[in-house]
Amino acid sequence: MGRTRAAVSVFAAGTALVLAAATGCTAGHQKPTLTVWIMAGTHPDASAYFADANAAFTESTGADVTVEFIPWGDAHDKFITAIAGNTAPDVAEVGTTWTPEFAAVGALADLGDMGWHPGAHVPGLVEAGTVDGRLYGVPWHVAVRAVLYRTDVFEDLGLEPPRTWAQLRKVARTIADRRPELTAFPVAGGAEYPLLSFIWGAGGEIALQNPDGTWTSGLDSPEAREGIAFLTGLARHDGVSSTGAVTWQETDVQDNFTDERVAMAVLGSWAPKAILAANPDLRGRLAAFPIPGRDGGYSPSFLGGSHLSIFEGSREPDLARRYVQLLTGDEYGPRWAQETDYFPGRTDQLAAFTGSTDPLVGPFAVQLSEAGKGLPVTPAYGRVQGRKILTAMAQAILSGEDDVEGASTTAADRVTQTLNEDS
Amino acid sequence: MARTAVPVRGGPAVSVRPTPTRTSRRRHRAPLRPLLLLAPALAVMGILLLYPLVRVVLLSFQDYTLANVVSGASDYTGLRNYTLLLRDPYLWTVVLPNTVVFAILAVGGTVVLGTLVALLLQSLRPLSRTIVIGCVLVAWAMPAVTGTYVWIWIFDVDRGIVFQLLHGTGLLGAEGHNWFTDRVSFYAIVVLNVVHHGFPFVAVTVLAGLLTVPGELHEAARLDGATAWQRFRHITFPAIRPVFAVVTILSTIWDFKVFAQVYLMPGGAGSNAQVLNLGVWSYIRSFAQQSYGTGAAIAVLLTALLLAITLVYLRVLFGSEELR
Repeated sequence: MGRTRAAVSVFAAGTALVLAAATGCTAGHQKPTLTVWIMAGTHPDASAYFADANAAFTESTGADVTVEFIPWGDAHDKFITAIAGNTAPDVAEVGTTWTPEFAAVGALADLGDMGWHPGAHVPGLVEAGTVDGRLYGVPWHVAVRAVLYRTDVFEDLGLEPPRTWAQLRKVARTIADRRPELTAFPVAGGAEYPLLSFIWGAGGEIALQNPDGTWTSGLDSPEAREGIAFLTGLARHDGVSSTGAVTWQETDVQDNFTDERVAMAVLGSWAPKAILAANPDLRGRLAAFPIPGRDGGYSPSFLGGSHLSIFEGSREPDLARRYVQLLTGDEYGPRWAQETDYFPGRTDQLAAFTGSTDPLVGPFAVQLSEAGKGLPVTPAYGRVQGRKILTAMAQAILSGEDDVEGASTTAADRVTQTLNEDS
Repeated sequence: MARTAVPVRGGPAVSVRPTPTRTSRRRHRAPLRPLLLLAPALAVMGILLLYPLVRVVLLSFQDYTLANVVSGASDYTGLRNYTLLLRDPYLWTVVLPNTVVFAILAVGGTVVLGTLVALLLQSLRPLSRTIVIGCVLVAWAMPAVTGTYVWIWIFDVDRGIVFQLLHGTGLLGAEGHNWFTDRVSFYAIVVLNVVHHGFPFVAVTVLAGLLTVPGELHEAARLDGATAWQRFRHITFPAIRPVFAVVTILSTIWDFKVFAQVYLMPGGAGSNAQVLNLGVWSYIRSFAQQSYGTGAAIAVLLTALLLAITLVYLRVLFGSEELR
């Protein structure tokens, strides 16, 4: 037995040596290859973009690039199994809410020494990619939500895009009154980001970090409650939402908007393209406005988007860095934004969009640069989302199971507890 | 064993310590052959069933998060996951009642409806029987995910058939009713879905049993003036009791661990905390919150509960002596 094992290990060692020698010989001839994961499902076919970018990369570095497209739905599981099994790619597009989570377990490389200028990128996204002062994700593209509305309905009723909450309420009530076949402003119980805008708009916070490092939720503060009460009140008291919307998710809002059953709704900057593709009849009848502030200005909207990150196990860290620089550079950064209807993550590239007169681009760009906001940056925030604490609160209020005070107290306790769990 | 004076079959009758003769060697080798033949199947089952099972039990004694997945390190915490779970009022007031009450209603509904359909099928002529079985099997062949979405559409708040029916008859206003927010109406839909999906299996299995009951027994009972119910109760049921045992146990196991039928309903993936059952709770704890240890502990609890219930069933249905 002992002898067999020894023989096996000798054989293994011998094979390893031969293999090592063989790779040593061919290394001079074989091109190094980078593996890159790009998310798929929310933007149109990106193969042409990557064919060009990879050709340019091969030309300047001599290295090959293999791009794999991963559907968003499976991506989180795939990342985790890849991290655990040591099969992670060299470079990947990582959703901004996942970056702190993966960084905290040591899966991502520190990009701080790559000579980025933090000021050159959208601040909210830099913040989202920073853990303990180290940058783990370079902002690649940004997405944001604003209010999408039907210009034909507004013109028909003589309405103007609202600039305050009171005006928003009045406009919604007018539509509900005069166009009962439409849902004026659906308040979806399963969508957390529109709710966040109104909590932030009233001056509330989901959670703030204390000097000792622990977190305290602000969901039960008078400000947060004011925002929650306003939004849920639109559904409960003003009747501008619908009974079904209590259990709607954001995709249901978008589907009903596409079916011309909704007059205005908080939707993402990527939504108009998908809506128009599914219902070309709506062309020319859609526009957007930034989410109004309580007494003017804008209510903050969650800054979503993606980072480009480099995985810790990469065998070609220098090439990986150059590839990230290429994709976020002057040529391929704006081109990616243009082809996907996202916004570029660099402030200098973003300027071209804020001035846009396109009614489906300009307002989103204004929302993004004037009133974009990030979530609490802690790896534990993923668990707050996993426990669906905010949507559970919204649903309890919208279905009448609990009032604003009770539901927000429960939610605040759960957020505080979740963020302070050590594991 | 070898020191006794028991005669070895075909070998020397008396021997204190039998020498390994050819016959005894063959006897020793014999048990190995079936094992060898079974080995491929056992290996596949060991890899696909036993290993994950053992892993889940081990996980349930650990504090296992994403960091552990990455580092591969184990952090054993003894019974901590279990004590935390069993002390959680959420388990006792929401998850366990949801799981158990739902399973009782669903198993009852499935078995009763399935038996009634089987009796109907038995009384039909071959051609019409084939047609009815074909229709019934469509419900069974439908994947759970598809079936669940159909039921969600039927009860859709704004456009569902149920809304249109109730609105048309004036029972419900234009604002509609959201059936998915309330725990009772939520589970009523799940029961409909699961009974609809599960009764064909019961019907076909019970029909197979019914066809084995000798016709003379029914004829004799009819001559004695027994009613239909009496004939079912005293002839059919005792004759095919094992068939009922099998369909009840299988339905119980399936209905205790329903997942897709709850998870895919609006609010069923966690935003309505009132409607989770053990299976969905385990999934959400493990994968949405990356607390794999707690999720595994819930799964182990569910398995233990199912084993206990199955044992009780077997005892009740067969009596203790038949079990052996």
